[in-house]
Amino acid sequence: MSAPVVLLPGDEVPHDRLPTKNSNPLRLGPGLRLLSQPSPKAGDSNHVLTATQAGLLTTDAKRNTVSLLSFPNRRYVPTTNDLIIAQIHHSSIDFFHCIVTPNTAHALLGQLSFEGANKKTRPMLKQGELVYARVQSVGVGAGAEVELTCVNPATGKADGGLGPLAGGMVFDVSTGMAARLIRASSASADETDPVDGLIILGELGRKLESLGGFELAVGRNGKVWVDCSNAGEGSVSVTVAIGRCLQETDQHNLHPHDQKKLVTRILRDMKLVS
Amino acid sequence: MASSAAASNPTIPSLNLPPSQFARLQPHAYLLAHLSPPAASDQPSVRANGRATSQFRVTSANAGSLTHTNGSAVVRIGDTAAVCGVRAELLHTEDIASWSVSTASEAEAGNTSQKGGSKTEDEEDRDHVQDLNLLVPNISLSTGCAPGFTPGAPPSTLAQSLSHEILSLLHTTRLVKADDLRIWYQPPNLESEEFRNAGEGMDVDSEQTGGPEPEIKAFWVLYIDIMIISLAGNPFDAAWASVLAALRDTKLPKAWWDADNETVLCSDNISDAQKLSLRGLPVSSSFCTFEADAAAGWRSVVIPNADELKSQAQKQGSQQRWILADPDGYEEGLSQERVCVVVDIEDGKTVIVKMEKHGGWAVDSDDLRQLVDVSAKRWHEMKRILDQC
Amino acid sequence: MVGPTASLSILQRADGSATYKCPATGYTILSAVNGPVELPGRRDALKPEDATVEVFVKPGTTTGGVGERAIETTLKSVLGDIVLGREKGFPRRGVVLTLNIVGGENVERGDSYLTLLPALLHAGLLAMISASIPLSMTLSAVLLGVTDSGEIVQNPSPAAAKSAVSLHVLAISSKDHLLLNQSRGRFDFDTWELIRARALSICQGAANDGDVAMGEGTNTASVNGFIRETAEDQIYSAYAHKLDSI
Repeated sequence: MSAPVVLLPGDEVPHDRLPTKNSNPLRLGPGLRLLSQPSPKAGDSNHVLTATQAGLLTTDAKRNTVSLLSFPNRRYVPTTNDLIIAQIHHSSIDFFHCIVTPNTAHALLGQLSFEGANKKTRPMLKQGELVYARVQSVGVGAGAEVELTCVNPATGKADGGLGPLAGGMVFDVSTGMAARLIRASSASADETDPVDGLIILGELGRKLESLGGFELAVGRNGKVWVDCSNAGEGSVSVTVAIGRCLQETDQHNLHPHDQKKLVTRILRDMKLVS
Repeated sequence: MASSAAASNPTIPSLNLPPSQFARLQPHAYLLAHLSPPAASDQPSVRANGRATSQFRVTSANAGSLTHTNGSAVVRIGDTAAVCGVRAELLHTEDIASWSVSTASEAEAGNTSQKGGSKTEDEEDRDHVQDLNLLVPNISLSTGCAPGFTPGAPPSTLAQSLSHEILSLLHTTRLVKADDLRIWYQPPNLESEEFRNAGEGMDVDSEQTGGPEPEIKAFWVLYIDIMIISLAGNPFDAAWASVLAALRDTKLPKAWWDADNETVLCSDNISDAQKLSLRGLPVSSSFCTFEADAAAGWRSVVIPNADELKSQAQKQGSQQRWILADPDGYEEGLSQERVCVVVDIEDGKTVIVKMEKHGGWAVDSDDLRQLVDVSAKRWHEMKRILDQC
Repeated sequence: MVGPTASLSILQRADGSATYKCPATGYTILSAVNGPVELPGRRDALKPEDATVEVFVKPGTTTGGVGERAIETTLKSVLGDIVLGREKGFPRRGVVLTLNIVGGENVERGDSYLTLLPALLHAGLLAMISASIPLSMTLSAVLLGVTDSGEIVQNPSPAAAKSAVSLHVLAISSKDHLLLNQSRGRFDFDTWELIRARALSICQGAANDGDVAMGEGTNTASVNGFIRETAEDQIYSAYAHKLDSI
């Protein structure tokens, strides 16, 4: 494949980078817009794709799409259907008020939006406790409230482990890393190629299997919850080790084989695996 | 005028809409219709206010209107009117915290300035006028001058940036000479004569060989307050013209250091008062660009390169943009791009003192060259007006 | 001469951020952008179909004064020019840019902000790029001073700027438009045209082809090339994992 192309605002997408052998209409991702180039001859105009953001040009020949990958690490803005890890700030009669990102308005989580919850069985969450939740709605306009839920409204079930997170520890990662972890963990079922160059989860899983494995939840708001209560006495140090692995991978943007080395080093440092 | 507007815009129904209402409903189309009348109608291209594109509004100036100030002026450009008052106050050098520290180096600078050329004198001026803040302009828009400004409100962003622009221009043009603002004192030469006349302020010329150096005892600080009493666009030109007229009118009383009382005394004799001697006469002219296409900024069209833009303008028969001199409030609301040129003419040569443009990408070298010429013409006009007032 | 240095996306909680350091003038600017954000205030005062660009300039050691208001107005109109405020999610919202002067000499009262202006523009632009604010093009700016002998000096130091006969700041878009000109001092128009030509070659470089091909060798010398390289480096490091797998 040819060299990667980075575009800056105002740059045109080179024609030879567009997928050609496809009869479907070309679809544009964010950061690109279609402009018409007024030509000297009247009634005849060319169309030009230009970038409005800085980013890496990626094309998908199969789906016939062009998109621009912009900077991944941004402030988290809640979007409907995102899975997030929220912390309870306080509760009122109908809602739990949760912190999703620091210094922003609290998100609302209904007292009854848990699996099988009714007035008597609803969870009694205290300040500081964590929930794994889905963004139900974000509202429109200024002062709109973000609503969270821990059940799938269609089935009434807590799909994918939604609900209170008991035990464990939360680590902060960048939002770009969180998105990569979500993609990596969702694709890990077939365990073939490393997704997005992240092999750290597989590596950790293999190494820590003997200690009872671990549980992981990734929130798009840049939070990772790790729990390894199966590890018995060493559970805290295993949790911290996993957190350190993830944070270092994030901060130094490690290459896959560096990730492998990092896992080995950290686990040895903390005397978890010989 | 209404007929030309209606002719170029076929969507206007035939009902009788007076021009004033059309101007409010479709301001952009209204001005465009005036500037580009249909070829058949044989009308000249004029602005909605009846002026040609490079024509300034009728300007009048009146100096010395306020009696309780050292200098004052009222300048009216069309419906924009600015009143400027200059008030002088004394600043004793003993009240300047850093004075005694800086005098040592100052004395050396003073010596070189007398030997060196005018350049070092300029430099010294800058040091005193700017470092000691001897000029304090303040512009007030909170006078009920236009509907958008609440009377008595804190200074708006516009007022603050205008104040800064005026101060900055006063400094870059070095309009006021620092020497006019200094109050000197020649200490008596006690060695040669026991009693010398102590009241010898402002007396720099009587050089005494071997006597003590003359020293600065105080400065005049000029508080320049500008009130925009009516705002109909282009506040900067009006404000600057009023500052200029007021400073030309300013008279400072004769002041001297009284060694016995250890204070500065001023003469109440009007004939002793001296006018400021200003450096040059910088005149400001502002312009704005009116685009024929109201939605030009957000059409999904490739923005042409700068040179393409130039050739495009030549190719297309109809004019795409007009540069309007001295825009009124109505025109300012319809344009983004602003140009401000301040020129002075010395010995028939045009000197640009400040040239600013922002807010768009249409105006470039060719336009700016024309605007400098227009500003030079305006300079002659303003000089005549200011000389008469 | 040592070129400027910049880094992108250094603040965690802002949409976009950058630092820009110009060794010639000694200024360091830290900038942060948030957008689109809901703005407080009267809704009818906001433009219904466009985004509002707000700029705040914070001087290093003092509180902001009238000089900052003036420079904010200028920056707002120049940077607002290239923001596509009508893209999805932007109308009626705001793009808030904060520029913090963290290094360099203070600008004195009544002194023009010209020496700082290029650094402020670059820091603001880089922060907007890192925040993925839709822009129609990029810009680059340069400070030029004319000395007594009529020589044109690029990026004069604050001391040299004080003694210059005239000072000019020009901002040139990536498509060669003159976006901003601020000239102070005493000069004639022919001098200014030389300045304009000089600014164009400094900003766009000699090989001025507007091509998106990665001619990294040819573009590095220009200011525009510097902006492009800074953004490219950041993208490459952020997507290193992706580029490796390709």
